[in-house]
Amino acid sequence: MTIHMNKVAAIAQVKTKAFMGKNCIIMPLFAIGFTFIMRLLYHNMDMGSDAPMEMLDAYVLSMGLVMNLSMTGVYCPCLLLAEEKEKNTLRVLMTSSVNGLEFFLGSILPVFVISVIINFLLMPISGFMITGSSLAVFSAVSILSSLTSCIIGMLLGIFAKNQVSAGTLITPVALILMLIPMFADMIDELSNVSRFLFTGILMDMVSDISKNADKIIKPESIAILIAEVVVSIVLFIFFYRKNGFEKD
Amino acid sequence: MNHEVIRLSHISKKFKDEPVLKDLNASLAEGEILGFLGPSGAGKTTTIKILTGQLKPTSGDAYILGINSGHIDETIYEQIGIVTDSSGIYEYLTVWQNLEYFAKILKVSKERIHEVLHQVGLYEHRKKPAGKLSKGQTQRLVLARAVLHRPKVLFLDEPTSGLDPSTALEIHKMLFQLRNEGMAIFLTTHNMEEAAKMCDHVALLNEGVIVEYGTPNEICLKHNKVKKYTLQLSSGKTYTLEQTDENIKKISQWMADDVIETLHSCEPTLESVFLEMTGRELS
Repeated sequence: MTIHMNKVAAIAQVKTKAFMGKNCIIMPLFAIGFTFIMRLLYHNMDMGSDAPMEMLDAYVLSMGLVMNLSMTGVYCPCLLLAEEKEKNTLRVLMTSSVNGLEFFLGSILPVFVISVIINFLLMPISGFMITGSSLAVFSAVSILSSLTSCIIGMLLGIFAKNQVSAGTLITPVALILMLIPMFADMIDELSNVSRFLFTGILMDMVSDISKNADKIIKPESIAILIAEVVVSIVLFIFFYRKNGFEKD
Repeated sequence: MNHEVIRLSHISKKFKDEPVLKDLNASLAEGEILGFLGPSGAGKTTTIKILTGQLKPTSGDAYILGINSGHIDETIYEQIGIVTDSSGIYEYLTVWQNLEYFAKILKVSKERIHEVLHQVGLYEHRKKPAGKLSKGQTQRLVLARAVLHRPKVLFLDEPTSGLDPSTALEIHKMLFQLRNEGMAIFLTTHNMEEAAKMCDHVALLNEGVIVEYGTPNEICLKHNKVKKYTLQLSSGKTYTLEQTDENIKKISQWMADDVIETLHSCEPTLESVFLEMTGRELS
């Protein structure tokens, strides 16, 4: 399968426009707004002298990141693919000399880029700035996590016939990706699951950065992150080959 | 003789165990219009999907531009245009942006977008969001998109369905122009007048079977078994008479008496042929 960059660029351009529509743009805005409000709340709450503000800001950042990955990363690619099917534009594109790989790349690229940008933007919004070597690790983990979430979104999109069914499919997945890491500190069983989720790994990493831990990410977590990218790609290819972008 | 661009050879298609197409044979050459005429559910859209590689036939072979449609890749779409019954336009993009998008994909110049927009009469509406176009304008945009890259074969699935007569007429004019430029057009319709007017050849399709195939004139003449004439006399009376010796004498006498105002032969239409062969009406 060959890739024509003119086609990928054209699709990415239109997908960016579609992303700016009210159904999608609300997702990164929600992550930003949520992070901002959480920061204000924590700063206005009397947390006692034992709670360093830096750790609270880090927690706010990690919550914002998880929300961004679930809402922007997973939700938007799925919704945009479902919209293409609903409006019959996908079939038109696929019968206009665009191949599956070109459509996949053109679709995922804008959401991936926006998702990564929001990940970085959440740092000043949360008040927790990551610098130095930690920033390099954060960048790598953030990019891998955004990539995984976007591929999961496209994978779910294969099964979504329209935008309504997209919402139904995304909700449980987004809840798993968000809630398990959020409550992992409170419930041990969830903690055991969370360390296998890219959202959980990212949250733990931000927490470790705020604690100035020696090792901010474990080697097995890096392996899990890479494995999740690979597994999501393999699953996507498997279901794409079986159903195309439209499961009839 | 014009070069053949489409060939259907013993095409059959089943969905689960339900036969949808049965042993279809037809061909289309460049610069011709082939009409697939039949009621809803006759298998017209399925035929287009098989020819354009969107569906695989259960048996038989379909060829487009010399390539078996079961083995085509996406590059074939650089040479064909498809207009489906559902528009597939990007409503949040303007008319211009819709065409520009496909122009980028198909490597078509901006000059060509201008040309096509003028051709379909949408140039004045180029900055309008596509979602705000009327049904007729939308259909013209879809047609503009389909012919943007000057395809060798154009597939039209019910192109004038639900359009007002004047818009349908404009689309017919455009199609004639494209045919005269050498484009091969595969048209599905349940409108027999449209088929009779537009098509060089028609296939009457009923429940997945081609019940009749030929030029509209050939088909009508073939079924013109009982010749009839309609006459209107000066008295205002109208008669429809079969061609018998007795009636010929009667008509001759009226002619001699100069009492005939109008005299028409009554050939069967594609609609009546279809009704005669299948017992079903087209629309």
